[in-house]
Amino acid sequence: MSSNRSLEPSSLSLNDLPWQIRYNNDRCTLCGQCTAVCPVKAIELKVFQKRIIKTSVQPEKGHTNDYDSFYGIRQKTRVENACIGCAMCTLVCPNDAIAPVKNPGLDRLKFHINQNGIPRRRGGRRNSSDSILDRIKFIRISMLTDPALDAGRHEFEMRTLLGRVLSPRENMKRLKEKGWIPPVREIYPLIIGGMSFGALSPTMWEGLQMGVAYLNEELSMPVRICTGEGGCPPRLLRSRFLKYVILQIASGYFGWDEIIHAIPHMKEDPCAIEIKYGQGAKPGDGGLLMWHKVNKLIAAIRGVPPGVSLPSPPTHQTQYSIEESVAKMILSMSMAWGFRVPVYPKISASSTSLAVLNNLARNDYASGLAIDGEDGGTGAAYAVSMDHMGHPIASCIRDNYLNLTKIGKQNEIPIFAGGGVGKNGNLSANAAALIMLGASGVQIGKYAMQAAAGCVGTEEDRCNVCNLGICPKGITSQDPRLYRRLDPEDVAQRIVDLFVSFDTELKKIVAPLGRSTSLPIGMSDALGIDDYAAAERLSIKYGV
Amino acid sequence: MKNHAFIKLSGQKDNKRIPSRVLEEMIHHHIKNGRRNIEVEGFGQHGIGGRLWDAGADETHIRIVGQSGQRAGSFGHFGTRIEIMGPASDDVGWLNAGAEIIVHGNASNGVMNGAAQGKVFIGGSIGARGMTMTKRNPRFEPPELWVLGSCGDYFGEFMAGGIAVICGHTTDPKDTVLGYRPLVGMVGGKVFARGNSDGFSEKDAKRVSVSDEDWNWLTTHLNAFLSKIHKNDLLPSLSIRSDWQLIKARSAREKTDSPEKSSMAWFRDQVWDRELGRGGLIGDLEEIERGSIPIITRGDLRRYIPVWEQGRYMAPCQAACPTGIPVQERWSMVRQDNVDEAVAMGLHYTPFPATVCGYLCPSPCMASCTRNLKYMSPINVKLLGKAGENVKLPKTVKKSQKKIAVIGAGPGGISAAWQLTLKGHTTTLFDTGSAIGGKIAAVIPGSRIPKDTLESELKRVKEFIPDIRLNQVMDKKEFSKIKYDYDFTIVAAGAKKPRMLPVPGIDHAVSANEFLELSKKDNIKPGKRVVIIGAGNVGCDVATEAHRLGAKTITLIDIQKPAAFGKEKEDAEGVGATFRWPCFTKEITKTGVVLSDDEILKSDTVVVSIGDVPDLGFLDESIKIDKGFIFVDAYNRTSDPRVFAIGDAVGPGLITDAIGAGRKAAIIIDRIIEGKSPDGDTPLPKLDKTRISLEYYNPKNRADTLKECGSDCASCGKCRDCGICVAVCPEAAIERVETGKDGFEYKVNPDLCIGCGFCKGACPCGIWDLIPNPAV
Repeated sequence: MSSNRSLEPSSLSLNDLPWQIRYNNDRCTLCGQCTAVCPVKAIELKVFQKRIIKTSVQPEKGHTNDYDSFYGIRQKTRVENACIGCAMCTLVCPNDAIAPVKNPGLDRLKFHINQNGIPRRRGGRRNSSDSILDRIKFIRISMLTDPALDAGRHEFEMRTLLGRVLSPRENMKRLKEKGWIPPVREIYPLIIGGMSFGALSPTMWEGLQMGVAYLNEELSMPVRICTGEGGCPPRLLRSRFLKYVILQIASGYFGWDEIIHAIPHMKEDPCAIEIKYGQGAKPGDGGLLMWHKVNKLIAAIRGVPPGVSLPSPPTHQTQYSIEESVAKMILSMSMAWGFRVPVYPKISASSTSLAVLNNLARNDYASGLAIDGEDGGTGAAYAVSMDHMGHPIASCIRDNYLNLTKIGKQNEIPIFAGGGVGKNGNLSANAAALIMLGASGVQIGKYAMQAAAGCVGTEEDRCNVCNLGICPKGITSQDPRLYRRLDPEDVAQRIVDLFVSFDTELKKIVAPLGRSTSLPIGMSDALGIDDYAAAERLSIKYGV
Repeated sequence: MKNHAFIKLSGQKDNKRIPSRVLEEMIHHHIKNGRRNIEVEGFGQHGIGGRLWDAGADETHIRIVGQSGQRAGSFGHFGTRIEIMGPASDDVGWLNAGAEIIVHGNASNGVMNGAAQGKVFIGGSIGARGMTMTKRNPRFEPPELWVLGSCGDYFGEFMAGGIAVICGHTTDPKDTVLGYRPLVGMVGGKVFARGNSDGFSEKDAKRVSVSDEDWNWLTTHLNAFLSKIHKNDLLPSLSIRSDWQLIKARSAREKTDSPEKSSMAWFRDQVWDRELGRGGLIGDLEEIERGSIPIITRGDLRRYIPVWEQGRYMAPCQAACPTGIPVQERWSMVRQDNVDEAVAMGLHYTPFPATVCGYLCPSPCMASCTRNLKYMSPINVKLLGKAGENVKLPKTVKKSQKKIAVIGAGPGGISAAWQLTLKGHTTTLFDTGSAIGGKIAAVIPGSRIPKDTLESELKRVKEFIPDIRLNQVMDKKEFSKIKYDYDFTIVAAGAKKPRMLPVPGIDHAVSANEFLELSKKDNIKPGKRVVIIGAGNVGCDVATEAHRLGAKTITLIDIQKPAAFGKEKEDAEGVGATFRWPCFTKEITKTGVVLSDDEILKSDTVVVSIGDVPDLGFLDESIKIDKGFIFVDAYNRTSDPRVFAIGDAVGPGLITDAIGAGRKAAIIIDRIIEGKSPDGDTPLPKLDKTRISLEYYNPKNRADTLKECGSDCASCGKCRDCGICVAVCPEAAIERVETGKDGFEYKVNPDLCIGCGFCKGACPCGIWDLIPNPAV
């Protein structure tokens, strides 16, 4: 009959939690801001008791034994309230009295997070700071061997081609015969990859788009952004800004009827169409936008009634083979814009990607191939998919590029690399490495969220609640009380900062290599790595 | 005189070009020998004319004819004047540190590169990268470069100081006088340019207006320049002020401020919204308020809001009480010095506050007391119960025309009749025995309940329930009659028939009930050795009584681990009774109990205490029986809807279970009489104990007076009106509001509240909760 608290299998102590709140009672003003801001209610005000014993070895003086209570902030240990380490408490604390600290010991929450039989799902990233890209160095410095260029004063053409480039012979032939020549866009090699309206908040999405428009119109940088699968706001479809946009179509086909309705009213063609077959973060898995996130706005843009769950299946429903997928989808999408818009598929990095590439090589309508590596981010996925499924991007890009060189088409089909580019903050170095391994350009997602909106995620399993709609920075939430924390103008400004500084850094890398007239795509003699096996695998130099 | 005449040196000897090193040695040789005017016939030798520091402060004049070679005048020295009589090769005046160099023709790339002092006058145009990396040392005058014509590409890169004057003479107006991409990385100095100077790096430099001071300087020095290159006739055409522009390096601060770049706010307003329409990207789809909000918000923008949940949850003690007594309400009254009211309130729930709450009940309320969470002693309800012994009768409310019969005057039956009487219904209590009280009165030993207490409470029952009929014959006929005569019948006949073992010699044993009834009247002598089969709490009562009546060796046996607990077990152990298990009885003989392994437990008296079953022979066929007990639904209604059944007749339980069932049946019958659905209000959910803050209480305090109990009760789910929330709220958002007589409420001002939940965290009673804010 005892009602004392009993031990349950998932009774955790603070010591078991991956993030622990370090709290300094002496500095705390008890202002309530930390508990008000905590996205997961991991902390609360608690009454604490203190026992004050005063004793004396001279018994005649007597002993006293008093209890006092005081207030402080306490971390909850329930699984559903486990601290996510976002440090919003630290951000708002006026006295620097509180901060989450990563538990250096074993994260035992992992064993209990599957309450009610539901495995862990999360947003964010793979949570591994390993990066082969970070280890690649640019070891070929021209200095006096070639005309050394100066990143500060030389002019650089930091541009890449998105589209099918015909061989010179074929091109001349078609020119002469007035045949069809595939559309090719000259764009900036750093692309903002597909993040849907829905996965991102309206303020974040608008901020990204605004920043891209600014880069194009004020700074003449032809930066492009992909919509992700969630449709595109009608106003954007009908604006001149559409030319900066790559429209994505994926297995859910959300928002595509609205896009079709908008085609006759478009002032500009979109930059390109990306057909999404896979995502690096959760290869082979689909997505589900839960009904409660489908508010009026999301519904309008996706062309559905509010309050219904929106599944994106793992595969396109009417495609049963590579041949069919490629032929059918690429042809349909090309046709929609009168063969004026490049169309390319995006797949998750895989040991099977060469089959896709070889298929594309035979199809003139295929404008390129985007490959998303295992370090790609996502709004929501099963942890097991994120942590254990997928292929690293570097070797996949390399295999594909070398395959193109083998068939002599390396200048004809661009490959775009994504997934963990800049995951540890080394954006330009990672991008340059991928370009020299053979990518014509790179796609970023998480990096933009971190740099442009202050996403607090790290590779240490910090925050990662994009799937729950409680993003403390308002980046992935549809709750105006959260997303209004984010000002699109600020996001746009940071996007501009990001690209301008990236541009400088990329020049700092490629200038000493003596390249200024074109991107050093596949210039792998410039690359070295301090790992013999990796060097062999990537066909680059082993440098120790 | 000799020293003033020009000595002529040739860069060629015997028709062969002499090395730069040798020519250099020759020049230095003459300087050391005091010569100050040297004409050199150059054959492309490197660096002619620089480094003449052996001349000291003397004026030195080097005239170069022929081909001057690269870096003429490099490391030039103050006092050195070099005149190149034709065009010059690369890097004229390279790292010039003071020399004046005149070129009577064009100069190729790199003029003045890296120079810090000195002046270079070019009578023609220059190639790429002129005036690059020049700097100004504050100890000296700035370096100057004068060019009559125009410049090649990348003029003035990384220029950090000095003055360049580019006259643009004979330059095609379509071409820029500064060449392609000039002034990239310029950080200091200025450039006068005549003609088209477009295309310079606006990030690094800016055009400024030519001030009078600038103009005076320029015209004065222009004249000197033209004299040096023998082009004085050009002065008028080069002296038109409006032809000239002045370009200056931007300061470091100007570069960081970068005022030229359009702000994002401007872009959003003038470009973005203008193209997309008002409200931007989604302005047509949703009328959401634009503009960012702070992280800490109030009102509708709070993610969570506090709610004062007074009376929304049931205290754990009340929820645990089978009788349903609101224990925490009574302690609240005690706290407010209304002890009498608190005690009297008990009689609205039970006719036996002292007997049962005070003595016989195992007190599930105390077992579930929230204080146990912190290993603190539970609030002692027994004190409150005992205080109820002499409370006056409660008032009944009204009289109804309905008649209800209650069969069985045990605790359950009395409870039902008590409640029905309270509600004003005419109630008749039937019993086959000669006294009321059932097992409380007949079986439970005097050691567990003082006789006076029991008698005074039974007396109160008799006073309150007017129609009690004892010694009634109860059979099928009588039951049918009662059913017919009364609107409702409650069967509370208890479980009076002892269960006996089906073993040989059972006749030698006596049942526990029989034993206890006799022992209570001191009417049995158990002898020295007593074996009790069945080691539950009743068995323990038998053991205690047996000891009182002289038994020395008392053994309780059971087929499983004894179920006895609490005070009964302690008392039995206290009198030296031993417990043995598992023991299986094979036979009972005159000498004792034979176990299955043929061990004989010798005994003078054998008592069987393995429970009782109801004796339900009097019920008619309309009442369904299930496994020996009356079958009832959730409302305690039997298969005959006008007949209810409660207590041990329905299933074994505690006394408080029977009292609670009696009260429940009475309430349901009352509701049916009133024409309402038998379902009352949905019972309140039980309060989550973790909402209580026990830290306010002294854990060492063992409350043993009514007053202490009142103040130490955590008042779960019932506001103590302590005002702690008001004190703790960081935003002063909570206010205590009076609502009518003695009523109060704590209210939150949403315009002040930030949703921190401090009220919830600090509340001692668990009244405040923090819930997601439904407003969007």
